[in-house]
Amino acid sequence: MTSSTHLKTRGRATAELEGGYRRMMLPAVFAVGLFAIIPLAGMLALSFSDYHLLRGTNWEFGLKNFVRLASDKRLMNSVYAMAILSFFGVATQVLIGAAIAVGLSKIVGRWRLGRVLFLLPYAVPHVAVALIWLSLFTPTLSPINAFFDIFGITVPSFLTTKNGALFAIVMADTWTNFPFTMLIILAALQGISPDLEEAAALDGATRVKTFFYITLPLLIPAFLMVTLFRFIDSLKHFPMIFVMTKGGPGRSTQATNYYAYIQTFQNSNVAYGAAIAVTLFVVAAFISFYVAKLNQRVTS
Amino acid sequence: MIDNTRSFRVKRVFGFGMMWVLLFFAALPTVWVLIMSFREQSVMFEAFWKSPLAVTLDNYLGITRSDFPKALLNSFICAGLSTLLAMIVGVPAGFALAKSRLSGKFYASWLLLLLRMAPPVGFVIPLFLLYVNAGLIDSYFGLIMAYMTLTLPLIVWSMWNSFAQVPDELIEAAIMDGASLGKAFLLVALPAARPGAVAAAILGFLIVWNDFFYALIITRSSTVTAPVAVMNFISYDSVDWGSIAVASIALTLPILPLMVIANRYIVQSLSGAVKG
Repeated sequence: MTSSTHLKTRGRATAELEGGYRRMMLPAVFAVGLFAIIPLAGMLALSFSDYHLLRGTNWEFGLKNFVRLASDKRLMNSVYAMAILSFFGVATQVLIGAAIAVGLSKIVGRWRLGRVLFLLPYAVPHVAVALIWLSLFTPTLSPINAFFDIFGITVPSFLTTKNGALFAIVMADTWTNFPFTMLIILAALQGISPDLEEAAALDGATRVKTFFYITLPLLIPAFLMVTLFRFIDSLKHFPMIFVMTKGGPGRSTQATNYYAYIQTFQNSNVAYGAAIAVTLFVVAAFISFYVAKLNQRVTS
Repeated sequence: MIDNTRSFRVKRVFGFGMMWVLLFFAALPTVWVLIMSFREQSVMFEAFWKSPLAVTLDNYLGITRSDFPKALLNSFICAGLSTLLAMIVGVPAGFALAKSRLSGKFYASWLLLLLRMAPPVGFVIPLFLLYVNAGLIDSYFGLIMAYMTLTLPLIVWSMWNSFAQVPDELIEAAIMDGASLGKAFLLVALPAARPGAVAAAILGFLIVWNDFFYALIITRSSTVTAPVAVMNFISYDSVDWGSIAVASIALTLPILPLMVIANRYIVQSLSGAVKG
């Protein structure tokens, strides 16, 4: 066999293989199309329509909903609430998760029980998380209030004030999600070769210096990834708001995802709710593009 | 070691102190929900150290007599079936994406990520209208199909990562030996990626088990899942905290072993980038 025919048969084999791969993808492509692309196309169509849950539609399509979006004060308010929840939630989750990861790997050592205890909040479904923290923030019920009562200190009712309600949601969100950041940063820490740290120690660097100049820079990709993932998730806030505050007091915890729900299912304004969802979707598209790029760069 | 100095010991004590504070933060709600679940209804609003003996199993017994066990069963059915379906469709796709030389793979990864990150309200609004018109509201079929939007992207994405770690040579060798692609996948690649497949299935199950939003919109009384059914213990004028505590525990306990098994894989599955 000459080398060129050999190449040809190899080329044919590769083509056959690629065909096989494509057939393996086909059911998933079909399913994604059916379960994801069609609903999303539906959402897009709705966002240009005038569909109302009770009044139906006159089949008028246009940019009306998006024009209304641009000057909607409640939307601006919801973006503000979402920004506060996202920023403070993600920041505290990353800080606490990182602190525990570093603590577990550098200070405490192999502490199995500790790892399991720190993981536990991540296993609690969000509705249960919201209900548990609702009970902790209910002054007549909460053991925290009862404890401070002993010393004559009255803990304020968080859920009845604007900032207090935002704080309460951040607390609940942080409690259930810090284990996620902890896990990822712990894995990244364990991936760092001990040789590097030993070499630094041999060169006379203190433990603290080694941590800040060797370990921390190597953790940056993990931090970036975890921040992005948590940030994207935080845009989807729903159960905690629904259970703990119902968007209140007033509209102070009505984050955008929740606002879209209110417009659609309480005000029956489906078309307008869809327009808000489309806007959120575009934001998610930009961020996920960046994450996909990041992922491609790190894995290749 | 050089580090055995006074200042180092101080730092160590500080470090341990910080860990205890964080552990208190992590454990307080868990301990509290356990306490609440055993408290008698009549003393619920009293500090528990004032009446430590007012414990009862009534809250637990009350739950078994309510509709909640059926909702738990619904959660199991939906999470199990939608994960199973998504595995059947998604695992081969993950394999193909990891090993083929297709050019649009970056866009596939973007689409999968986007589907996982997109706001659920975007899927739910059109699905709700479709289901209302097709009579699929409050049906198992409709709910399981809707949950495919959650499970499928997650499973394809994490299986893609798992199969990427299976060496190409392994599959090439099997094909050289005359195995078909399907056989190479089933007999060589899949066993090698088994831990990843277990993790993907667990993550799929968990994401449906945790869901509140989909079930809130597209279920009514007969297929209601546990996270939505908990809300029944909150009525207009009173909140049944004892039952809520028991229900919260019942919602968490079944998935706790899954979490313990899966935690080491969660990292790899959720973000292919951060290699542990």
